[in-house]
This record gives sequence, C-alpha cells and structure tokens, in this order.
Amino acid sequence: MKRNRLVSLLRHRFVAVPLAIAIAVAAWNVYVSQHDDGIVRGEVVGPDGRPVAGATVSMMEQNFTTNSDRGKTTTRGDGSFEFTDNRSHNIQLRAEKPGVGRSDLVVVRLYFRAENVTLREPLRIKPSS
Amino acid sequence: MSAPGRPKCESRPLGGSEAREPDGPPRGRTGESEARATFDTPRVSGDHTMASRRTRRAFEHASLHAALIVVSFCMLLPFYWVLKTSLTGENIFVYPPSVVPVDPHLFYYVDVWYFIPFPRYLLNSVVVSVLAIAANVVFNALAAYALTKHFRGRGAIITVLLSCMMIPFQTTIVPAYLITAKLGLLNSYLGLALPTFSTIICIFVYKASFEAVPRSLIDAARIDGLSELAIIRRIMLPLATSAVATNVVLSFVWSWNNFLWPLIIVRDPDMQTLPLGLSRFLSYHENTTGALYAFCIMVLAPGILLFLMAQKEFIRGLTSGATKA
Repeated sequence: MKRNRLVSLLRHRFVAVPLAIAIAVAAWNVYVSQHDDGIVRGEVVGPDGRPVAGATVSMMEQNFTTNSDRGKTTTRGDGSFEFTDNRSHNIQLRAEKPGVGRSDLVVVRLYFRAENVTLREPLRIKPSS
Repeated sequence: MSAPGRPKCESRPLGGSEAREPDGPPRGRTGESEARATFDTPRVSGDHTMASRRTRRAFEHASLHAALIVVSFCMLLPFYWVLKTSLTGENIFVYPPSVVPVDPHLFYYVDVWYFIPFPRYLLNSVVVSVLAIAANVVFNALAAYALTKHFRGRGAIITVLLSCMMIPFQTTIVPAYLITAKLGLLNSYLGLALPTFSTIICIFVYKASFEAVPRSLIDAARIDGLSELAIIRRIMLPLATSAVATNVVLSFVWSWNNFLWPLIIVRDPDMQTLPLGLSRFLSYHENTTGALYAFCIMVLAPGILLFLMAQKEFIRGLTSGATKA
C-alpha cells in the first residue's frame, strides 16, 4: 500500500519532472567533474599536410570583448601539442613557425570550462607571403 | 427480469441477432427483418439527417482547428525565432532569413552561463519566486476565505479591492520603496518578494473556488470541532486545487518577470534577478545576438515548464474564476 502510494507520488508530474531535471543536472555535474582537467590536444601541419615540429602554438582566452594571452607551447617531433592549464570555455589557438608561416586563428568552443578536448582538425600553417 | 414500469428495450448489441432477450425466448433473424421493414422509411430520412449533421460537425471541427492552428502559428512563431536564433546566432537583419536553423549549436548558452554570474541570478530569482508563491498561496487563501463570509462592509471591501486592481504598480512604487526601506529590507530577498506577496486577482480566483464548496461541508467541519484555519487548510484548499495551481503559476510568472521593483531596490550586483541580469548583459555586450537570445530562452524556460506542468489546473482555475465570481 505504502509502495503504491510512493510510486504514484513519483509518477506525479510535479514530482517526476523536477526529479528528472535533478538527476540530469547531477549526471551532468559528475560528467563535468570527470572531464575538466583543462587539457587541449592537437596537431600542427604544414602547407604540405606533414606534421611540423618545433612550431609555437599560442592559446588565447576570449572574454566579453577582448582576447587575452593564456600561454604558449611548442610542438613535438610528430607535430602534436598539448596545453594542460586551460580554464576557459572559449579559446583561440594559433600556430606559428619562423620561416614556415602561421596558421589562421582557430576558435575552440567548449561545453564547460576546462573541458578536455582534442582538436579534430590540425592547425594548418600557411606560408607567409 | 425487466424492471417494473420500465419499457422493454429493443436494442441489442451488434451481431447479437441470436442473443436472448433478458426475459424472453431467443429471437431469430425473421423478427429482426420484420423490425427493420417496419422502421425502414423513417430510418432513411433519420440517417440522412444524422449524416448531414455529422458532416456539418466535422466541418465545424476542422475549421475550428484550422483557425486554432493559424493562431497558434502566429503566437509560436516569435518563440521559434528566438529559439532558432539562440542556436545559430544568425543576425536578425539577414535577408532572406533562414527558416530552418543552419549549423545549430549550444555554445551561446555556455557563453551566457559563464560570461555573467547566471547561476547567482537564477538562485536569486528562484528564491524570490518561491517566497512569492508561498505567500500568495497562503495569504490569498486567508483573504478569500474571509470574503466568502457575510459581514458588514464586505461589499465595500470587495469594491475597494476591485478598484485597487486598476491602480498600476508604477504609481505606488515610491511609497512601496519607502516602506521597504523603513523595514530595512532593501537588498534582501524578502524585500524583493514583498510587493508580490498578495495579488487581488488571485484572491478572487480563490474566492470563486471557495464559494463553490457546499456550505453544509463547512458547517459539518465546524461541528466536528475544526477551527477556521483548519477548515481552510483541510477542507477548502484540497477542494480548490485549480485555484492553488492558478495562484502558483500567476505569482511565479509575475515575480519571475518582475523588472522594475528589483531595479529600484537592489544595489548589490549579487542580489540581482534574471531580468536585471538580462539588462546588465545587454549593457555589457552589444554584439551577441545568439547569446542574448539564449539568455532569453534560459529566463523563459522555467516559466514555460511550470505552466506546462500546471496548465490543466491553471486553465480550470481561471475559468471557474470567470464564471462563479
């Protein structure tokens, strides 16, 4: 009897809807806490599509109206790079190598602050004109 | 056995030609065909009338629905446009505008969440609305129950209340501010919610519902020893769920969308509510169509959700208020 009353209470829309929202929010927060190390991974390639080692990758954070510099790193031998201290949800990346050129500014938007992300497309350095 | 004094029923279930009458022998097909033959002529004209009536009703039904669809479309189109723009960030002056969202994403919602202290505004709005809802449900019920009683000056009080409904809040905002300041409630949740603690329309919604409760039920409760407050709590409110839902929805919507009062009494940015946050967001950031529309959706969503949950009771409460006041 008590169980039936509990089930009917849980199925009432004024209970079920807030409960479903609370569960979704809790699940989202658990997911965020597991994936917010601030790691940004990617790769830099040259105009010919081959990995570029020793290129400097700059990370900028976009605020309301300004972009502020948030760090630099250098690509490894295989052209990959990694930032481990991103604290923003809206960053911009640019790769540059003297003598080779520099890439366009790539905007990376994240679903929450410091979300771990691996770039799908490599940063493509264009020859400087 | 048929009931005494009751005419014998000739109608039978479909396909039941062999069925037995309640107190008679089984009836064969011959009897049925005789009956058909007897009523053949009037049934043709009756069928015709019924068919034409059915056609007319179907036409009325279809035309009513078509009109409702057109009206719904007109009402929902701006909402759809806001939702679409919040997902695409498309400039509203783009011509020709795209009806279907192109490359939709949720990043404008993320921007709103982080660019301004949205969680804080949300918390403030929720606290103020909960206070307003609780106060409205309780105080309006007390006032409405008193107005269902017969006492000297009742008509005058109702007249004064109805007259006060026509005075806009903007005209009383200065005394309201002074009273709130005297009470030391500026920059507080209680001060934010205080003017929405009781609304006259909601009192009358309650009153209409309470008047529908049979007098004998209240008298019986009183004989059983219930106090007046217990009668409201245990008899009136459970029987007036529609009025309670109407109170909840209306007080929530009014306190949730309130802009002028919080603008006047709040000085601390941490005490701002969502409508104030929206204006602050606009003043900070001019070139964010997508984020602005996302903010609008985030402000609207709780109200829409509450209305969708309580719409049945809400509409019932409003209509009972309309016919029994």
